[in-house]
Amino acid sequence: MRAKVLRLAAAIIAVTITSPFTSPPSAMAQAQPPVTLKVAIVQQIDSLNPFIAVFQSSTEVGRLMYDYLTAYAQADQKVVEGVAKTWEPSPGKLTWTFTVPDGKKWSDGKPLTARDVAFTYNLMLTNEVARTANGSFVANFESVTATDDRTVVVKTKAPQITMTALDVPIVPQHVWESVTDIKNYANDQVPVVGSGPFVLTEYKAGEYIKLKANRSYWRGAAKYDELHFVYFKNADAAVQALAKGEVDLVNRMAPAQFDSLADKENVTRNKAQGRRFNELLINPGAQTRTGTPIGDGNPALRDVRVRRAIARAIDLDALVKRVNAGYAEVGTGIIPPVFPKYHWEPSAAERRTFDAAAAKAELDAAGYPPKDGVRLSLRLLGRAGRAYDEQASEYLKQSLADIGIKIDVQLVSDDQLNQTTTAATYDLAFSGWGTNVDPDFILGLHTCGQRPGADGTGGTTDSYFCDAEYDRLYAQQLSEFDEAKRVEIVKAMQARFYDQVPSVVLCYENALEAYRSDRFSRFPVQPQTGGVIMAQNGVWGYYGAEPAAQSASSGSGRSWLGIAAGGVVVLVAAGGWFVARRRRATAEERE
Amino acid sequence: MSVVWDRRRTAWAAGWRAFAAQRSGVAGLALLGLAVLVAVLMPLLTGADALNVARVVAPAWEPPGSGHLLGTDHTGRSVALLVLNGTAVSLLVGLTAAGLSVAIGTLIGVTAGHFGGWWGALLMRVTDFFLVIPALVLAIALSSVLPRGMGTIILAIALTSWPSTARVVRAQTLAVEARPFVERARALGGGHLHVTGKHVLPAVLPLVLVNTTLTVAYAIVAESTLAFLGLGDPTRLSWGSMLHQAQLQGAVSKEAWWFLLPPGLGIIAVVLAFTLVGRALETVINPRLRG
Repeated sequence: MRAKVLRLAAAIIAVTITSPFTSPPSAMAQAQPPVTLKVAIVQQIDSLNPFIAVFQSSTEVGRLMYDYLTAYAQADQKVVEGVAKTWEPSPGKLTWTFTVPDGKKWSDGKPLTARDVAFTYNLMLTNEVARTANGSFVANFESVTATDDRTVVVKTKAPQITMTALDVPIVPQHVWESVTDIKNYANDQVPVVGSGPFVLTEYKAGEYIKLKANRSYWRGAAKYDELHFVYFKNADAAVQALAKGEVDLVNRMAPAQFDSLADKENVTRNKAQGRRFNELLINPGAQTRTGTPIGDGNPALRDVRVRRAIARAIDLDALVKRVNAGYAEVGTGIIPPVFPKYHWEPSAAERRTFDAAAAKAELDAAGYPPKDGVRLSLRLLGRAGRAYDEQASEYLKQSLADIGIKIDVQLVSDDQLNQTTTAATYDLAFSGWGTNVDPDFILGLHTCGQRPGADGTGGTTDSYFCDAEYDRLYAQQLSEFDEAKRVEIVKAMQARFYDQVPSVVLCYENALEAYRSDRFSRFPVQPQTGGVIMAQNGVWGYYGAEPAAQSASSGSGRSWLGIAAGGVVVLVAAGGWFVARRRRATAEERE
Repeated sequence: MSVVWDRRRTAWAAGWRAFAAQRSGVAGLALLGLAVLVAVLMPLLTGADALNVARVVAPAWEPPGSGHLLGTDHTGRSVALLVLNGTAVSLLVGLTAAGLSVAIGTLIGVTAGHFGGWWGALLMRVTDFFLVIPALVLAIALSSVLPRGMGTIILAIALTSWPSTARVVRAQTLAVEARPFVERARALGGGHLHVTGKHVLPAVLPLVLVNTTLTVAYAIVAESTLAFLGLGDPTRLSWGSMLHQAQLQGAVSKEAWWFLLPPGLGIIAVVLAFTLVGRALETVINPRLRG
């Protein structure tokens, strides 16, 4: 009761304060408040430009704004209608004809046609910067032409398996044909014209992203009005906001946070198999596409024996048990077990079991004997404020110290980490990628062609890996239309990657999500069993969310701990203030 | 010369007696002694593997009582051991930053007071400039621009906390230089270095000492704040970094009060100790404050 009175008082004060600047309260009361799904996010957005954006958060927002040529079904991730409804390969699989049905519209009312599709792909073919984020999909394209408004014909140089899995946002030609400088085009002129289920209407870097449901979306409009992404500085704050009912959906929680929500009222948890992997990059001697060395990675790491020794010194089981609190699966290949068809497990002979003694022997053989107990000194880069990096770095520091490798842990901001890994000025670094239904994209990240160009830009190589054998297999799988054979090649590639260790796949974290069941009754997960709500291969989780029957919720679940923690902070602050006061007082007295 | 030093020695002894007469100051000093003892001895007493995340076997997030006095953190390390071992960095950063800050402040204060004129005015305007910049904001900016590490934190704190010392020291310098013995020293041919080094500095030293103790308290709070915000050296154990870890790993959601409260209490204890000692010292050098 008291809380209600207080809240009422606060509301009155708020209205009193703001009323001179807003419309009269009576007008506001008449309008039905929009039903809004508020999603807490912690990762920053690197760009809203779909040709540049590589962060998971950015591609997720991109998917909401722009449809791809095809989509993946919610239940089983099979390829279904996207911009194109039907598609037909020629007998030799070199020419693909996609049909865009009539009636699809951009959010500004202009028709969405095959010409937009052709424009997008041709832009990527002709402009290197436009290939930054999704270049691997079009690398093998010969030509793309729209023969009429409904038909687009893609010719490829060699048969390409991913023709129905082109994860490229299709952009409107009438907006983008006037963009001359793609690299610096922020794409934040709201409302941003798109074709997806939501339209970007407001964006403030580091604060929020607001989208409105696209009423003319061809699949039908979403069942609620607005979708807001709200930034939180850390996951704890996001979890607290969920517990209090300030946000409706949270993901990427730490195990302790997930556990703490176990018996919270009105909160439903979802533990899903993640489609991401965490990895430890080992700089294998970074070079540009033209073969010029870049960065300042430790030259010792160019020796595959050293990389293998490092991989062998890491106890992955212990990492999963202690750092992930068991909410993860031990890493092997670069395709997570959520895609069982392509996921690769090493055979007993291939598997590198944790063995510090063997690792030391390998380092001895490679010519790095210990000098005063130290064989090598390496930098380990991670993201400050990311629980996994902060904790796992301590384990790795210990594990590698045990084999005589001294680690200097450097935890930096998101942007700094991105810059450092792009410039290859690291020895070891934490990284991770989300994988798609079709493995082509994630496999392509490790090919020679994905390394940056001569000017240091372009390409999204993950690890600066460049291996002739791997590239040969990559080209082979791209044109292998017999699925069983392709699976074999994909697994062979992962085995090669595992053997050459440009990075150690540490684990596949479970996706730990939770939502307010009093606000939204159901979120479609993908795939149907053990699937995720956020970070899907699609937008079903957001698009298909069903608002709960309206009930005035008052979830003020502030725990006594929060009060205690607040108390400590206040005490410390008061102490500091007191000290400051004292000093000022004496200073004044003396002068 | 020795007459002067004898007189000074007597003055210091009298000062100590006046200090010892104040119970709160002595209590603060005792608390400080204990903290220093813990800081020096704990790293020697703690077993090599007790704080090694890769070696501990205890379950994570264990509440106090069950085998661990203050429970365990997110990796299964004993919170009690963490707090005791965190003392060293918190004290070290606090003392070094305060020392550096007071050194800068004293240098600028004495120079400004001694030379006066446009040079002194210029120095004081620089001081005022630093005085009006919000210290925490500047410290955050500095520690995010400079490479991460303990040195950066020390520098950031020192660069933001020296102006008040400079002002106080300048005022005292002016007061001292107005006295006849300084004039006499000048008349006898004492140069700038002689006057400031042999006459002004000893006279402002007690004041500087008081200022140092109070600045340490500020520096410790500042270090904890920066570390809590994730701007500290994440690889070094301090009370601030413990709070940062607790917050990052979800201690608040987990309601693991035993991970949050002890480092907070540690900060309060040490800050309180320095404040008590500082106030007692102030009373010693400023008889007007004696009740």
